[in-house]
Amino acid sequence: MTAAATPFGDAPAARYGFGLLVVLLYVFLLAPLVTIVGASFTSGMLIEFPPRGFSLQWYGQFFQRDNLVAALLVSLRVGLITAVVTSIMAMMAALAGQAVAGKLGGWFQIGMVLPLLVPELLTGVGLLFFLYKIGLGRSLLGLQIGHILMSFPYAYVSISAALRQVPPSLGEASSSLGATGWQTFRLVTLPLVRPGLVMGAIFAFINSFDLYTMSLLLKPVGGTTLPLALFDFLTYEFKPTAAAAATLSILLALIGVALVQRLVGLQRAF
Amino acid sequence: MRRAARLQLLLGLPAVALIFVFMILPITNMVEMSFRTPGVTEPFGNDYTLMHYGRVLGDPYYWGALGRSLLVATTVTVLCLIVSYPVAWHLSKADGLKMVILYALIASPLMTGVLVRNFGWMIIAALNGPLNQSLLGLGLVDRPLRLLFTQGLVVLALVHVFMPFMVLPINNAIRNISPSLVEAAASMGASRSATFRDIVLPLSFPGIQAGVTLVFVLAIAAYVTPALLGGQMVTYMPTQIIAELTGTFRWPLGSTLAIGLSLTTLLVVAVFTLATWRLLDRVRA
Repeated sequence: MTAAATPFGDAPAARYGFGLLVVLLYVFLLAPLVTIVGASFTSGMLIEFPPRGFSLQWYGQFFQRDNLVAALLVSLRVGLITAVVTSIMAMMAALAGQAVAGKLGGWFQIGMVLPLLVPELLTGVGLLFFLYKIGLGRSLLGLQIGHILMSFPYAYVSISAALRQVPPSLGEASSSLGATGWQTFRLVTLPLVRPGLVMGAIFAFINSFDLYTMSLLLKPVGGTTLPLALFDFLTYEFKPTAAAAATLSILLALIGVALVQRLVGLQRAF
Repeated sequence: MRRAARLQLLLGLPAVALIFVFMILPITNMVEMSFRTPGVTEPFGNDYTLMHYGRVLGDPYYWGALGRSLLVATTVTVLCLIVSYPVAWHLSKADGLKMVILYALIASPLMTGVLVRNFGWMIIAALNGPLNQSLLGLGLVDRPLRLLFTQGLVVLALVHVFMPFMVLPINNAIRNISPSLVEAAASMGASRSATFRDIVLPLSFPGIQAGVTLVFVLAIAAYVTPALLGGQMVTYMPTQIIAELTGTFRWPLGSTLAIGLSLTTLLVVAVFTLATWRLLDRVRA
């Protein structure tokens, strides 16, 4: 028996009705992204969709705004450091997770994704006070710590899932042949989990790039991230420059989606 | 071998330290902060008091903000479930290239920031934006509606933000339903819609429960969307908390509000989980 085209049967009316509904829902899902990308190419002076004419002037405008470019650079730097640090820490933690047995292992798994389970607002408020207490309030290092904390679970989930796919017999074979633990890791485990590792780093980067509430609470003195700068920009001047900036961040997300698909496949990742 | 296993455990230390030092300690610290007296020159004083809890509990202003947050989060969760189920069902039946494309369509908005997606809704809902143009074109309204800075737009944008969080768990639950059950129902003469109602829908319940819990918890604590699209007139709990912390620097009061919001969320999730426990048990049986 083949799968039904709709939950309500295969009658033409059910088929077309359900098909139309699903198409409309996908349009809803994509509408804001399409609108932003379209509006960024307008040759008019206003943010509007459909765009008036075609021009790249707003991208030029974006790169002439020192505060927006500075914010973009802060976001890129914080995101890259977050991706590198979280993937190394998550790789180590995932290896440790394999060695934690029984009930404790379950608690370990929950502990590692805790920043994902507790609302960002709550963690951010706690971290704000704590960073002041230890003398890191309103510093770039404090912001970096917040981003590493919030992005860690994404890296951990991808990497430990990849690690579970590696058969334990490979490690046993390698050590029975006289390889040290480090050699086994470098020559056997690491090449096999590399796609999961890269995927974890991508998720960590994208999450860091998008973090808003945490960044707002921990904003360093004299510095800001792209989402924060964009929010201020939208509140005071509603110009297509913002659409150009937002399109750049949509582009990053699309590159991320394509990379994840190539590395492990979207279905396994989500 | 024993030594190797112990070494392997040590690898987890940096991550455990990260989560303990920068999450568990700070949240504990925040609970302590809620009992501090208000500060004069500092954001908090040195003594302890219960006054903030009394103040929050006795002030209709905060009850209003909490009530609005609860109402919005519940509405968003229900609408999200309604729009996500057909998409999840459709996605769960796809395979090959079609499946990859559909996953990419759902993942792309998910991986684009919340702020960017909200900005998209600002453009769509603008006075001369595409939504108003279509309504005018269809003759449904005779002049553009003011949609920006309304609660309706906040709800719409939140449904959009959280839709992938509902679609993905439901899709996974439907994929896990054994095809033989569906075949058995069909061979015993059940119609497609009866099979769906009596077999597929109940068996997808674990995914619904996960999605509903996730979306509710995320929606009630959402800050950006109400702050950007809700305008200055309406206060929600998260916008109020951030205002107390970064605007007026009343840290103990802000902590008390954050704890109040968390306890409320926990209570709702607990009630929902208990209420649906039996339903879930029946599905497992």
